[in-house]
Amino acid sequence: MSVISINNISKRFGTTQAVDQLSFDVQSGEIFGLLGPNGAGKTTCIRMILDIFEPDSGDIQVMGGPMTDEKKNHIGYLPEERGLYQDISLGRCLTFLATLKGMPEKLVEAKLVDYLKLFDLYEVRDKKVKELSKGMQQKAQLIATLIHDPELVIIDEPFAALDPINTQMVKDILEEKRDEGKAIIMSTHQMNQVEELCDRILLIDHGHSVLYGTLQEIQSQFTSQDILVSALAPLPESIDGVASFRQVNGRDLLVLSEGAQPNQVLKQLINQGVEITAFEIAVPSLNEIFIQVVQQQAERQNG
Amino acid sequence: MAKIWQIIKYEYTRHVFEKRFLFSLLSLPLMVILIVIVVVAMAFFTVDTAPIGFVDRPGFLSDAAPPGFKGNLFDPAIEFIAYPDTSQAQAALKTKSIQAYYVIPESFPEEREIALYFLKAPSEEAQNQFSLWIRQNLETFTAMDPLILDRLQNGSVFTMEALDGSREMRQDQWYLMLFPVVAGITFIIVVLTSGGYLLQAVVEEKENRTMEIVITSVTPAQLMVGKIIGNISVGLTLMAVWLFFSMIGLSIAGQFWPILRTISIPGEMFVIMALLFLPAFVMVAAMMSTIGAIMTEMREAQQISGIFSLLFTIPFYAMSTIMTNPNSTLAIILSYFPPSAPITVLLRMGLTTVPTWQIALNILILVIFAVLSVWLAGRAFRLGMLQYGKRLSLKDLFSKQEAA
Repeated sequence: MSVISINNISKRFGTTQAVDQLSFDVQSGEIFGLLGPNGAGKTTCIRMILDIFEPDSGDIQVMGGPMTDEKKNHIGYLPEERGLYQDISLGRCLTFLATLKGMPEKLVEAKLVDYLKLFDLYEVRDKKVKELSKGMQQKAQLIATLIHDPELVIIDEPFAALDPINTQMVKDILEEKRDEGKAIIMSTHQMNQVEELCDRILLIDHGHSVLYGTLQEIQSQFTSQDILVSALAPLPESIDGVASFRQVNGRDLLVLSEGAQPNQVLKQLINQGVEITAFEIAVPSLNEIFIQVVQQQAERQNG
Repeated sequence: MAKIWQIIKYEYTRHVFEKRFLFSLLSLPLMVILIVIVVVAMAFFTVDTAPIGFVDRPGFLSDAAPPGFKGNLFDPAIEFIAYPDTSQAQAALKTKSIQAYYVIPESFPEEREIALYFLKAPSEEAQNQFSLWIRQNLETFTAMDPLILDRLQNGSVFTMEALDGSREMRQDQWYLMLFPVVAGITFIIVVLTSGGYLLQAVVEEKENRTMEIVITSVTPAQLMVGKIIGNISVGLTLMAVWLFFSMIGLSIAGQFWPILRTISIPGEMFVIMALLFLPAFVMVAAMMSTIGAIMTEMREAQQISGIFSLLFTIPFYAMSTIMTNPNSTLAIILSYFPPSAPITVLLRMGLTTVPTWQIALNILILVIFAVLSVWLAGRAFRLGMLQYGKRLSLKDLFSKQEAA
């Protein structure tokens, strides 16, 4: 089921076209990666979904229709520019933010204790927010985003300022939410986290959709005929069908000549008595795809 | 509505339970209590309650009823002791068993002259008590109609009446002139307090970067209404507590100064005050929200709001002109200028008959400006709320184009 359905939305600020004819949808039970370089239009896009800005044109459907006050209660948002009320206690701050999501105070009290314990913040609940570390404040923000059990979670750089243990915990929570059928839009520059968590992604640049689909679909678009090989002994200096090879992370990356097939190369290596421990098609990382696509876009813009 | 209530509650409680607020809240009552203590202490230590003697040579007071003066802390009833001759009175004075003594000479019925002897002059109040007692027993007065006697003893009270009968004011209604001044000062304090809190609330929302989270839960209008009502309530609480303590202070003071018991402010003055102050409060709140939404830092916002707040104090600077001629051009202009209107109109009402249509027009202008200010605040709020670290220009504020 589509939790968000966006059709051809555009937004212009003065002379800047922030978002241009963008369309995508987000399904329940998926983690959707919204990616793009700085200034690509991600935040504007999120703000339009959240009804902070109205699109100049196009249509946004959230949970089956336009945004309403009631629907806002079912959305959890962790913005890029984030913060908490600094001069009040953590407990009071989170209670206030949760009640603004329509939660009765009694329910907030009960759920807040669980969340504070989960995020290891229970002991500091009476401290003023400004007395907490950056990491603690980041965890508190995540509590504010999730405490009302939203159907749609929009999070911008959720792992910033978190240590590896807390990063893993947040990842587990996001996966748990996905399994519960919640829709999650995650915007981040940490491509390894996207590869690990996201089911589908949208890469935007200069307000346009550049890549859109499942991770496998996108990676297959960028997969070349290159092969990654691990062997117990050095590879022969010359292999038919291999144009060149180089070391990548302790393995050999073989760049095939035009028309050469990986299975032919594998056959040759076995026939030559090379003891192979790993042989795989070199799939580009999302990071490499991101850089490649964004650079191509920049060249196109400049040229 | 529930969300607005949550915002009101949050804004109200975060200030009301702060030490700073409790300090402002208690400052006036504490000051009143301190003044009362000082005054009472001064009265206690300075008022001489020792008896006053008198030598009544013609026997003028021999059959007189005792003085009926009840007295109070600052003017205690003095006991008057009769002495047969001046030597005994003099001896009593030297031993300080009396603070002074009068000698009523034989010639008193004709000459109406009495001599007073003292080491340190008795208080004016004590002298008045003796004088009153004498007057009550003069033959001329004892036969008089009590009403005329009262007039003679207490003097006349002039009542000024407007030619068209629309207004009258008695000489002893001094408080009608004082009331607008006190109400005006209270208004300024409440405006500055509430406005300051509101400014802080809006700027903090930007400084803390909480705005973006909050407006995905409530609409900007709900947030603004909640903040305005919450922060105005803080100021009104201050006003209510001060009013409560002032009433207590007045009723206590009335025990000592009977003149205070005559204070009676006409109900219509309160109604007009409420009609003037309420739109003014809304206007101030909206203007403070606008400044908060436009500015990026608290210090910068405070500077601008300080200049803005000065506009409300203009009537005090022009007070001598307004009081000398409440219908002067300056007074009328200030009545139509929204920031100075509430206090100017009240000051004028204390001194003259302000035509009803003028008051209605002053209130209408204030209401219109309040509505416009709320509209402007809403716009500044919507445009400026996500402009972190960037000041919203006036051009942005009035331009049709949205800023990123």
